[in-house]
Amino acid sequence: MSAEGDLDVVDSAGRSDLDWALKGAVAAVNTPGVVLFLSFLGFGAMTHDFGWPLWIAVLSTALIWAAPAQVVLAGALANGAGLLGAALAVTVSGVRLLPMVVALLPVLRSERTSLGARLLAAHYVAVTAWFEGLRLTPTLPRTARMPFFFGLANALVLGSSITTAIGHAAAGVLPSALSIGLLGLTPLYFLLSLERGAKSLGERVALGLGLALAPVIGLVAPASDILWTGVIGGTAGFLVQRVADKRRRP
Amino acid sequence: MSPALDPGYLLLAVVLSFVGNDLWRVLGVVLSARLDEDSGLFAWVRMVATALVAGLVAKLILAPAGGLALAPLWLRLAAVGCGLAAYGVSRRSLTLGVAVGEAALIAGVAALGI
Repeated sequence: MSAEGDLDVVDSAGRSDLDWALKGAVAAVNTPGVVLFLSFLGFGAMTHDFGWPLWIAVLSTALIWAAPAQVVLAGALANGAGLLGAALAVTVSGVRLLPMVVALLPVLRSERTSLGARLLAAHYVAVTAWFEGLRLTPTLPRTARMPFFFGLANALVLGSSITTAIGHAAAGVLPSALSIGLLGLTPLYFLLSLERGAKSLGERVALGLGLALAPVIGLVAPASDILWTGVIGGTAGFLVQRVADKRRRP
Repeated sequence: MSPALDPGYLLLAVVLSFVGNDLWRVLGVVLSARLDEDSGLFAWVRMVATALVAGLVAKLILAPAGGLALAPLWLRLAAVGCGLAAYGVSRRSLTLGVAVGEAALIAGVAALGI
């Protein structure tokens, strides 16, 4: 469970790492978690349509643990991209995980966080775990953040793996309107979560530019459009925030 | 059975994707080692991540891979519009926004008989 080390270490609030991990697991069963579980129901249904065995679909959720990357993989293989082409497309789609890890780890880590724990935490970084980690952990005592995040992330992986299997099994039974609806859950939920998470002016600029730029940049550089969208939109948001901060405190 | 559906081939594809994806996560750990939570660089990286995910959302809605592409573009945009409207009216309720957007998408697909 927690790679933090001794589970019987007790913090000032009298809670052990295991207590915090359990709190994190419980926090996973919330709107974002449930929406994530439902969108993996959609992914499971999609892999059934593409002819994947159930165990491969579940393994992809548990191991890759990034819904967009899994959708890219399934879509690329279905379009005959080949093994290396599909893996390359997935790798390019994963670039966004790097800044997410860089943004989350300084919030999670404490004095006693080992390299192994940081690597494991980074593996769990995906959109929902990232949003919820950033939203829920900053108010916790610093030493509680990592075990809380491990509890949260493990519960998200477990629930998503189960719903992937259910979606795969139900695919033949589900009417197409429902299975298409399930595939639409992920982008809709990502969009609303981003809006709710963007509190500062700069973050709103980054969000708006990200939405507007991706389709345009996709025409010029389809292989690296997401990366360029992030760099351009994020830098613009950062500069806007800088100017806004200076005006407030001259 | 086509080679793309062979379980061994799929397993290799999943493992390669895991390696390609986790490469960025490991690199993130390396880069974050000396980064301060309150630094300007941290703020910049966070905004880059926000714009990245926003870009991905735009692509998933405008040019989706897989079954979502069966719903026409106008229906996808209308469903997102309904979801955003419900989210705004309900003072930023994720649950309500997602539920209304989904209902619009499912009802639209059913009405079109896709």
